[in-house]
Amino acid sequence: MPSRDAALEIKTLAQDPVPLRARASGDWTFHGLKERSEDFARHLVEIEKQPADRIAWDLTGVGELDDAGAVWLVRAMRGSQRVDVSQGHREILNQVGQGLLVPQEPERFDPLSGVVWTGEAAAGAAEHLRDGISLLGQLALDVAGMVRRPREFPMREFSAGIFRSGVTALPVTMLVGFLVGIVLTYLSALQLKRYGADLLVINIVGVGVVRELGPMLASIISAGRSGSAITAQLGVMRVTEEVEALSVMGISITSRLVLPRVLALAVALPLVSFCTDIAALAGAMLVSSFTLGISPGAFLQALPQAVEVVNFWIGIGKSVAFGFAVAFVACHYGLRVLPNTDSLAVGVTRSVVAAITGVIILDAVFAIMLRNIG
Amino acid sequence: MADDLDKYVIEIEGLVNTVGPGIILHRDLNLKVRRDEVLSLVGGSGSGKTQLLRVILGLKRPKAGRAHVFGVSWDDPNVKKVRDARRRMGMLFQNGALYSALTVYDNIAFPLRERGGLAEEDIRAIVNTKLAQVELEPRHGKLLPANLSGGMVKRVSLARALALSPDLLILDEPTAGLDPDRSEGFVRLIKRLREDHRFAVVMVTHDLDTLFELTDRVAVLADQHIIACDTLAVVRAMDHKFVQNFFGGERGRRALEHS
Ligand SMILES: Nc1ncnc2c1ncn2[C@@H]1O[C@H](COP(=O)(O)OP(=O)(O)O)[C@@H](O)[C@H]1O
Ligand SMILES: [Mg+2]
Repeated sequence: MPSRDAALEIKTLAQDPVPLRARASGDWTFHGLKERSEDFARHLVEIEKQPADRIAWDLTGVGELDDAGAVWLVRAMRGSQRVDVSQGHREILNQVGQGLLVPQEPERFDPLSGVVWTGEAAAGAAEHLRDGISLLGQLALDVAGMVRRPREFPMREFSAGIFRSGVTALPVTMLVGFLVGIVLTYLSALQLKRYGADLLVINIVGVGVVRELGPMLASIISAGRSGSAITAQLGVMRVTEEVEALSVMGISITSRLVLPRVLALAVALPLVSFCTDIAALAGAMLVSSFTLGISPGAFLQALPQAVEVVNFWIGIGKSVAFGFAVAFVACHYGLRVLPNTDSLAVGVTRSVVAAITGVIILDAVFAIMLRNIG
Repeated sequence: MADDLDKYVIEIEGLVNTVGPGIILHRDLNLKVRRDEVLSLVGGSGSGKTQLLRVILGLKRPKAGRAHVFGVSWDDPNVKKVRDARRRMGMLFQNGALYSALTVYDNIAFPLRERGGLAEEDIRAIVNTKLAQVELEPRHGKLLPANLSGGMVKRVSLARALALSPDLLILDEPTAGLDPDRSEGFVRLIKRLREDHRFAVVMVTHDLDTLFELTDRVAVLADQHIIACDTLAVVRAMDHKFVQNFFGGERGRRALEHS
């Protein structure tokens, strides 16, 4: 399309009561103005030196006029009545003039904003806690309901959850477990060698892995993998109003969405951490045989005596609790997502951080509670 | 050729378009849209109207054929030319496609800010003008898309589509899901906007009232291509099953009486 750049001619007629004549021509569009933006900035300065009623405007030569051009003209004309313009363009100028008149809301500084912020944060935290507790309560009721009507249990979601957060998590958790087993054994071996207490490595690494490291590694990796996935999935369902659609159909959100996920992870995580234990012990066995000369056979024979079985059960029990906690936190955050993408991003981040922190806190609590056992 | 460029904003020739695993949706499809007309695209549900718009918008690459918008093919290696052509068109998506994390104000300001070259206060004036044009108030600017009614979502996304004063406006079912009052308002709105600035409109619609009120020409998409593209009177007289169903019957008569 042939386009002519915007142009402005300003003439001075000294003896006239209206001494300035401004004549606009060409296409007053964003592109037309942009090419000559410096000229126009100069024009504007010149025009603003004069009171608005001493300038007469002739806009009949204007070709195309878009919003950007209209904004410039309305600014420059400052409500002048002496304007010669076509009907269509006058309409655009009027509309843009109205737009320019809308007052900008001043951003007021509130001296109490700090107090308000603190209060809101506290109220938000309290609401968070309340929602969490009510979700937990609802979950308990759902479990009771499921026990009475087991046929309503969402079996497909449950088994899909076990596959997704259990089976597919195995490669990465086992690899990490194996490597951590190697590092831990190597470090311990270095120290123990100095005291000639080589065989103690089995006790230290065995108890450490089975009771602490296996469950911790498995649940931290699950918080990153499954926790974020659960929050993102429920969050998107919030954004697309699928959650609302479910509740409108009279389907309980907790029993359909939350319960299968929480139970699935509570079942899957002990299995994952069992496999992680095995991988870590395999790493330990490998290093022991190379650096300490403990043959795999001797290692396996010494292991049951060094590590009491109760330690294993403690580890498995903790994994159940961790799995429950990770999935619960993830669901809680997922259901709190507001229907916009920012909230989704924030929700997923917070969910993972909260799940990992929660797991570590829980672990500390368990450590204190179970300090006399094993 | 230069003459053609001036006359048509969209030129599609011999288009072949597939979806999914090689299902042919369009075959040998031709369509030309003049630069100052309102063209309505009608066709059965699932006939591929939205997919055709996606090709026009450059969101989808056709299997074969020529699809030029403002004389530019979306495959053109000249990035600047393609970008300029893109900025000359506005799109109203079927479900609004507003940015959910941005307020109404920021949604409309977004294309203006992206284009650059305007001061924030000028952008503010334009955004407020657009809000007024779609009959919304400045206070609505602070709302998030999630807090809008369906009609408001349509109007806000129209305002966003209009922000850059496009030469081509593409509307996918603009009045679907609006009550009759609102769709009439929408038609009035488009009519008035086109008085100030004569942009071309390509519109998918099932709403006969909207069609009769706005359209210069109707393109009928059936049997995988455009079987006719002509004035309403000519198209209505066609002896084709879809056309007869679409315009015939009680619904068509009622809409005709109104117009
Ligand atoms: N990715 C895809 N895979 C398979 N089929 C698709 C895909 N996208 C669209 N379709 C099919 O293409 C057809 C046309 O869709 P669409 O253009 O949205 O129809 P409408 O004319 O109602 O807007 C539909 O039948 C739809 O099922
Ligand atoms: Mg469609």
